[in-house]
Amino acid sequence: MTKIRRGRALAAGFLVAGLALSGGVASATTPPAGGENVKISFLTHWGPDTVALLQSAVDAYHQDHPNVTVEIKAVPFGDLLTTVRAQAGGSAAPTIAGIYDLWLPELVRDGVVAPAPDAVSQDVGSNWGASTASAATVAGTVYGVPNEIDLYALNYNKKLFADAGITAPPATWDELLADAQKLTKRDGDTISQQGFGLINSWAAGVVHPFASLLASNGGSLITDGKPTLDSKQATETFALYENLVKGVKVTDPTMGTADANTAGPFLDNFVSGKTAMIIMANWWESALKSGMGDQAFADIATAPIPVGPSGDGPHSISYSWMTVVSAKASAAEQAAAWDFLSWLNGPTSGKSGASAMADILQSMGILPSRTSDIAAYTDRLNRPFMEGYVAQLANAKPFPIVVGGQEFTEALQKQIESIEFGQASAADAQKTAQADAESILAKAGGATAGTTAGTSGG
Amino acid sequence: MQRVGLATVLVVACVAVAFPLVWMMLGSLKTPAESLHTPPVWWPAHPSAEAYRTVARVVSVGRSFRNSAIIAGVTTLGILVTSLMAGYVFAKYRFRGRNALFAAVVATMFLPPIVTLIPLYRMIGWLGVDGRLIGVILPNLANAFGIFLMRQFIKGVPDELIDAARLDGASELRIVFRVVAPTVMPAIAALTLFAFVYHWNSYLWPLTVLQGNTDQYPIVLSLGRLLSYTRSAQNTNQVMAGAALAVLPPLVLFVVLQRFFVRTLARTGLTG
Amino acid sequence: MPSRQARLDRHRGWTAAFLLPSVGLLAVFVVVPIGLTIWLSLHTWSTQTPFSSAVYRGLGNFRELLADGPVGRDFRQALRNTFVYAGLSIAAILPLSLAFGLFIHRVAIRGTGVLRALLFSTYMVPTIAVAIVWSKLYSPSEGPFNQILGWVGVSRQPWLSSPDTALRSLVLLNVWQQVGYFTVLVVAGLTQIPDSVYEAAALDGARGPRLLARITLPLLRRTLLFNVVIALINAIQVFEPVAALTQGGPVGSTNVLTYHIRRVGIERSQGGLGSAMAVTLLLSLVVVVSLVFAVNRRGYEA
Repeated sequence: MTKIRRGRALAAGFLVAGLALSGGVASATTPPAGGENVKISFLTHWGPDTVALLQSAVDAYHQDHPNVTVEIKAVPFGDLLTTVRAQAGGSAAPTIAGIYDLWLPELVRDGVVAPAPDAVSQDVGSNWGASTASAATVAGTVYGVPNEIDLYALNYNKKLFADAGITAPPATWDELLADAQKLTKRDGDTISQQGFGLINSWAAGVVHPFASLLASNGGSLITDGKPTLDSKQATETFALYENLVKGVKVTDPTMGTADANTAGPFLDNFVSGKTAMIIMANWWESALKSGMGDQAFADIATAPIPVGPSGDGPHSISYSWMTVVSAKASAAEQAAAWDFLSWLNGPTSGKSGASAMADILQSMGILPSRTSDIAAYTDRLNRPFMEGYVAQLANAKPFPIVVGGQEFTEALQKQIESIEFGQASAADAQKTAQADAESILAKAGGATAGTTAGTSGG
Repeated sequence: MQRVGLATVLVVACVAVAFPLVWMMLGSLKTPAESLHTPPVWWPAHPSAEAYRTVARVVSVGRSFRNSAIIAGVTTLGILVTSLMAGYVFAKYRFRGRNALFAAVVATMFLPPIVTLIPLYRMIGWLGVDGRLIGVILPNLANAFGIFLMRQFIKGVPDELIDAARLDGASELRIVFRVVAPTVMPAIAALTLFAFVYHWNSYLWPLTVLQGNTDQYPIVLSLGRLLSYTRSAQNTNQVMAGAALAVLPPLVLFVVLQRFFVRTLARTGLTG
Repeated sequence: MPSRQARLDRHRGWTAAFLLPSVGLLAVFVVVPIGLTIWLSLHTWSTQTPFSSAVYRGLGNFRELLADGPVGRDFRQALRNTFVYAGLSIAAILPLSLAFGLFIHRVAIRGTGVLRALLFSTYMVPTIAVAIVWSKLYSPSEGPFNQILGWVGVSRQPWLSSPDTALRSLVLLNVWQQVGYFTVLVVAGLTQIPDSVYEAAALDGARGPRLLARITLPLLRRTLLFNVVIALINAIQVFEPVAALTQGGPVGSTNVLTYHIRRVGIERSQGGLGSAMAVTLLLSLVVVVSLVFAVNRRGYEA
């Protein structure tokens, strides 16, 4: 404590000694002196339209709780994790942050996020589905309030299907390969319309569809905390990727690049009808709609993930988002933050029994996760694009949440991409992927010995 | 004949160099439909400033400009003051270890910022200035290039001038800012442009310090944010408008100060 | 000389006062962090925790960078990418800036000043804006580059979308942005060569390429050496195009060190490992720059 204070005094002295000219800036940014008013902040990666909706919810809350002010901060997805982490090292940490569930174990390990109070824990336990609630839990302690849930399905362009004389989406890998061949158009050696699209340069966009195909082939990335990329099911999935690109040649990997904002060629090519099928998550509905217009968007349909030779049925991969509270915030700020979150995600804040959060998520076409929200939105979830996703919720398997999960995902991403771009054979990529996963998870596990991280495998 | 050939080369070179920025300006005036069109539309049929209005609203351009101006302005002022003082000492004073100290200062000029980023970002948090403009500014108030530049130029200032001022009873502080500084105005102009533009454009450090505090974002970071709001290709006009807004201020400053800059760069590049 | 001694004594206080702001700032914000980076590179340290929580592990981080795991492979690829990017950038910038510089300096037609201003203006604009604009130029279907290539019968290029072309596309963007800066330095170098040297050479019958090889290039040697070093330092810092456009992909082909170290050291919070990478970068840079100078000196002696 004294050490820190001396550091700051030194810094302040230094500032003055160095240059007096920064005084104006320093005073403008000094936090206000404490009072009974509480000011908390909410960090999100949402776009401005969605932030505007959150702002109106904040305003409504402020009306009833005039002493609590909530300030919204927004960063791009690509900067979100760094921001949550970076600020934990400093004093400007956001009180509330919306995070991707995969990041939770490490944030808990590093003491970045605070455990939920009992009332919130009980709320999460009783009002959310078990798998969603478990994603917000580490070693039996609840750390966040889940909000959105996302899962993967096969999106296809009905118009291109009709042009190719195909009446139904593929249900198996064999049908997938056959249909994709019919849907692929070539211009000399280059593919001008690809039958099946694969995403690259974006970790989740590469690994989640792969994991969905693997799950639909009866396999999983991680079983009981150990990587199982050496299974027969995984071998078949890696081989499928090689076949798509090198065998039947229905995928042009250069048409699937994503940029830092999870947009780019993969999205543009699907929007412009140059990709006939792709495995993507429900949340890209709004991006498709704005890119295609309502008329062309009506051609896009959703189907279950095609089932592999060793699979027992279609299984999607799901993941969730949640809001967490900074462990660095003061007790008053933490209390205000949890109260705000309970209200925001509770049944009284939104329209007709839904939560305000559900209303916000629905504006983006994202599925809410609270049981009462799903019930309140049943009617509107029945629209053609979304229906296909909702139907798969029951079959969905949560993406494995482990310490080192992000690093594991990025290592696997690299091996999958090396197959796509012909830099490695399926067999070699599989071997490397398994070895890398073992070393990453062993290291992450070693680093957390004693703190125990929850692994909610399948 | 040869003249025609050379003139052609010149025109081609100018067009090639200017093309990306011209494309940016044209792109910012296109409609969403034109932005999405394949093959690309070169000339907007109905130039529209709509994209600029959208961008101004989405990323609060005014506030971003203000933040950029504070970061670049205060940092530049700091660099000018510290560089003049240190440059004067290195050029005109003799003391033990002067050359070694100067060499050490110059060496920091060649250090890639990433080498110190991790501890520096942690230090900024420990000092309690993360997430604020002051945290962006503080570590950059002294600059090795500035010290180097000022020393080179002040070396050329005649000793007689300084001695005469001393005989008149001027303090050393007064000599630096009232006697020496006016004689090295071209270098000061060049350093102003260099520092201002560098810190206006700087991205990695503000991103690291300010993360998430979008109120404090300079225009370059707001531009990065803009990308995530404009996912599909039809919003390319907005992205281009944002880029154009970020590009304009440094470009204008360059046009105003360019003759100093080019001349000074010439001198330091060679006498160093 | 007592008067000189007296003058020095009188200035001793001013020496300290004038140096303190700049040297103090550089010490606190450059020297101390370098020391910390080196110290942290020998420790296991989570970036969100205080420095005091670092656990000593000797050269373990460096061993990991050399070993055959995912950490070492990714790092070595990023190191390789960084130096390939720098090498290609220099290989393009050096001759181009020389050509532009000679053109602007030697050709006596109106408008070379415009070219110089245009060239230099690209160096003045924010790299993030350049990256964004170029990503649209590169766009496979809506971008003008592929359209222009189509006019001259060249097939579509994947640009940023293929591991074979992505890094080179980033180099192209860098060359466009930086060549003007180096052109101005070349012009400055040329201005310093006295006309008499050319006149003497002309009397000896040297002109055209021979004049360039015998007179101009040797006299520009220092400028060119300086340009190589600065271009290298600039290239090491590439960040914005990677962060905004490629995220290091596809297949890690554009993963460069500034991006990678930030990802490991801050995003993954592996501060010790990231610091070891930073130290390795610094050492490699010292080696490369020394080599450049050594080669230059050998050239003189030969």
